[in-house]
Amino acid sequence: MSFSSHTSRYLSHVDWALIFSTCAIPLCGLIVLYSAGYDPESEGVSIDWLGLTIQSSAFLKQLVFLGAGSLVLLLAASIPTSFFFRIAPFAYFGGIALLTAVLQFGYVSNGARRWLSIGGFNLQPAELMKLGLVLMLARYLARRPPPPGGYRVTEMIVPALLVFAPMALIAKQPDLGTALAVGAVGVGMILFMGVHLRTLLTIVTILAVMAVPAWQFLHDYQKRRVTVLFNPDADPLGSGYHIIQSKIAVGSGALFGRGYFKGTQSQLEFLPEHTTDFVFSVLAEEWGFVGAVVVLALYVLWIYRLLRVAAKARDLHSTLLVTGIISIIFFHTIINIGMVVGLFPVVGIPLPLFSYGGSSVMTTMAALGIVLGVSLRRFQFANK
Amino acid sequence: MASFERSTINLPFRTAAAFGVACACFVVIALRLWYLQILNGDYFRARSENNRLRTVYLPPPRGLIYDREGRILAGNRPEFNIELVTEDSPDPRATVERLATILDLDPNTLVAQLGGQKRRRRFEPKLLVRDASRDMIARVVARRYELPGVVINVNPARDYLHGDLAAHVLGYIREITSRQLDLPGFSSYRSGDMVGHYGIESQWEMDLHGERGIQRVVVNATGSKIGESSFEPEVPGRNITLTLDLDVQREADTALQKLRGGVIALDPNNGEIVALSSAPRFDPNMFTHEIPSDTWRELVTGAERKLSNRVVQGGYPPGSVFKMIMAVAGLSENVMPIGERVFCPGYYVMGARKFKCHKHEGHGWVDLNDAMAMSCDVYFYTMGQRLGVDRIHDYASRFGLGSKTGLKLAEENAGLVPSSEWKQRRFGQRWYPGETPSVAIGQGALVTTPLQLARAMAAVVNGGFLVTPHLVREIADTERHFHEEFTGERGEIDVDPQILRQVKRALLTVVQNERGTGRKAQVDKSFNVLVGGKTGTAQVVSLEQGARHKHLQDHAWFVGFAPEEKPEIVVAALIENGGHGGTAAAPAVRQVMESFFKKRRGAAVAAPGNAESGARRGSP
Repeated sequence: MSFSSHTSRYLSHVDWALIFSTCAIPLCGLIVLYSAGYDPESEGVSIDWLGLTIQSSAFLKQLVFLGAGSLVLLLAASIPTSFFFRIAPFAYFGGIALLTAVLQFGYVSNGARRWLSIGGFNLQPAELMKLGLVLMLARYLARRPPPPGGYRVTEMIVPALLVFAPMALIAKQPDLGTALAVGAVGVGMILFMGVHLRTLLTIVTILAVMAVPAWQFLHDYQKRRVTVLFNPDADPLGSGYHIIQSKIAVGSGALFGRGYFKGTQSQLEFLPEHTTDFVFSVLAEEWGFVGAVVVLALYVLWIYRLLRVAAKARDLHSTLLVTGIISIIFFHTIINIGMVVGLFPVVGIPLPLFSYGGSSVMTTMAALGIVLGVSLRRFQFANK
Repeated sequence: MASFERSTINLPFRTAAAFGVACACFVVIALRLWYLQILNGDYFRARSENNRLRTVYLPPPRGLIYDREGRILAGNRPEFNIELVTEDSPDPRATVERLATILDLDPNTLVAQLGGQKRRRRFEPKLLVRDASRDMIARVVARRYELPGVVINVNPARDYLHGDLAAHVLGYIREITSRQLDLPGFSSYRSGDMVGHYGIESQWEMDLHGERGIQRVVVNATGSKIGESSFEPEVPGRNITLTLDLDVQREADTALQKLRGGVIALDPNNGEIVALSSAPRFDPNMFTHEIPSDTWRELVTGAERKLSNRVVQGGYPPGSVFKMIMAVAGLSENVMPIGERVFCPGYYVMGARKFKCHKHEGHGWVDLNDAMAMSCDVYFYTMGQRLGVDRIHDYASRFGLGSKTGLKLAEENAGLVPSSEWKQRRFGQRWYPGETPSVAIGQGALVTTPLQLARAMAAVVNGGFLVTPHLVREIADTERHFHEEFTGERGEIDVDPQILRQVKRALLTVVQNERGTGRKAQVDKSFNVLVGGKTGTAQVVSLEQGARHKHLQDHAWFVGFAPEEKPEIVVAALIENGGHGGTAAAPAVRQVMESFFKKRRGAAVAAPGNAESGARRGSP
């Protein structure tokens, strides 16, 4: 990007590819959700001027979430990036405090203590913690960029602790999937800054050796999810059920899919969680390989354009902020789709901007707002 | 705002590397999709055509409840439910409306009933009419071609074979509430499940309920069953054998007909409850269906308080029944030696106050036996004065008054035994000696339940130990593997057995002496059994106002035991507002005891109405 005339500056610098991918993904999501959440028995909402009745509550609610999310996005974009630098410690330690509180007072659902109920509003502090960690690491690493050749062990002790503390608290809930996602986001940010090659190889070796005793600490159901991954038919009605049903859904889509509203796995509800965590199965079932790859391509384009924002940000803190947010989006996408196609164990992680769900949409939109803010301010060199 | 040095970082390289890693991950996913969808697409499509699992839940039959002789008190009967599989119905709403016309039901209620089950999946049957009559079933079957998707399923439903018999013991079951569904203990339950809400049904819910079976049926694209993929059979609930005896229980229920009150019969040697009746009763069968809210309100809050178990929850002053414990205390503490006589002029003067005996003209000179037989208040005023409230409290507590017996049938009333410490704690005042006499005759702040008094009587006559009253004999699964057997635990009361024998003798005179107040408790002489016990007449006093309600009669008590040497049964009867214990409660005890001994002794016909002649040998 070079300088351009003042009049057309904003228009010419609008990143149309970024806007296209950011809008196309939730639109595809809505199309799939309309079918996945279709319920012919529901009252539905009729739209007179279009002469049709929408009988999919997931579609309608997601539409509302996206609308509200857009406002959150604009709000987050209007906040100066320096603000996120200042509030980072509060966001981070506030998140830690909420995670501690959830272990004490949170209510139990499906055997895990993950939710806090505040005034009738249910909050999953682990979701907030992801953003808190990104803000905190961006602040810390921006002030301590790596020496040539990358970070060495001593320089990484504090960042590692910053990543490990929330991970341990979330793993204790227990929510191993989210704990690993938080860890991946933190590690992704540190790796982006650069780690000394020999240090990196040493750490990877040590972790590989430690993986064996760590296995002993997993809950039985967590172990089962991993073993079932390699042999789902060992437990076709228990832990293997999700994987088998999802693989049947994806596989039966073949090249061009079974057609809109024709996916039997999802329409007949053999597929669990088909509007939330397993929404990609519905896409693959009804739109086939072609549809699935088109959506994958949209995610690749999206991440590419987001990385460009990171590269062109006006300072290192902004770069790190955007990188952290990309990490969140990227790891969620890969873990979710990997789970749906049977490459990862079943964990409760939604597909960003695609899965139905208010808190997922809201946090992603807020994160995108921060990215937009960084992008709009990339030419402000006020202090230089 | 700080500005950050980033000269050491080669940003274009790092972003390119990050993008490369991301792309590699997406390529792996795309390859996996290729493998699943292109290479194995045909295989998975075939599986999706044929491998359609439908989950069918099989409700477990609830455990049966038997009496001690194995006769069924609560069983199961088949219940026919009209349900709708919405997936098989082209227009569910129209079908439901058609069904309503055929059955003469309100279409709106049926549609609402259907709408309330949104959470069920489309291929799962949704309940429309629970426990449909034969006539309804016939009408549906005859016109089933007009009713696509409508199915008739048979479920086991609770059946209380004897109606309201032992209703307060058995309890009832109802559809699980949404509040219960959120509780951790009910995590395996689904909406629509029936769950115990009261009595044994509630207390032993986890044993009685069983586990539902899960059948996964493979169906083809049109919904026809083409095989079974797995089958976990339902596990029936465990059967419970109670200590109740159906015949004695029926007699206890009959004795309370048209009255308000409670009767409990227990074995004084092990605490097994042979009969437990509270009146008025309710019919547990009616809870199986939705019951109108005004019926419900009347049950819970109506003046009759039908749902309250008066044996366990009702708190009443023990009245003169308390004198049996006074006698034990007086003899044990040696404040009133066994031969000492007290003169009863019909009143007892203490300071400026005059406490009346219930016989205003006085009993004259009385010893323990006379005082017990005629229930002389002055004798016990004197004894109470010599003991003081705290020693009375000590003995009453040893006999289990003032604390729960541990029978978890309903929220148990612990009752109350006053003491100077209690007075200080409760009112911040010291105990005045003038308050002791009313406690000595079982009034004042004393509160007891029929269950507590039966247990205390058992301790007096069984040689001196406290039994644990219980209702469950054994719990067994259908293969008769015993899970638990129950025997009463014993608690010591630490009283000289010699003294207990003297008190027991005095209690015999209450029924056997020609001037005794409890003569109507004696069973027919053909049983060859002597009955002892104590009458009681509890004044109905509003504690708040301290004023006696003129329109309310006193509560009538009788707590009896038999036979005289080695008692086998203790029966306590309380008749609310029944008047005198000897006339209102004693006959109820006799009736229950006769039915008990008729079985135990195999003895003769119970000849009603000649209890007066029952005494074989009268005590002086």
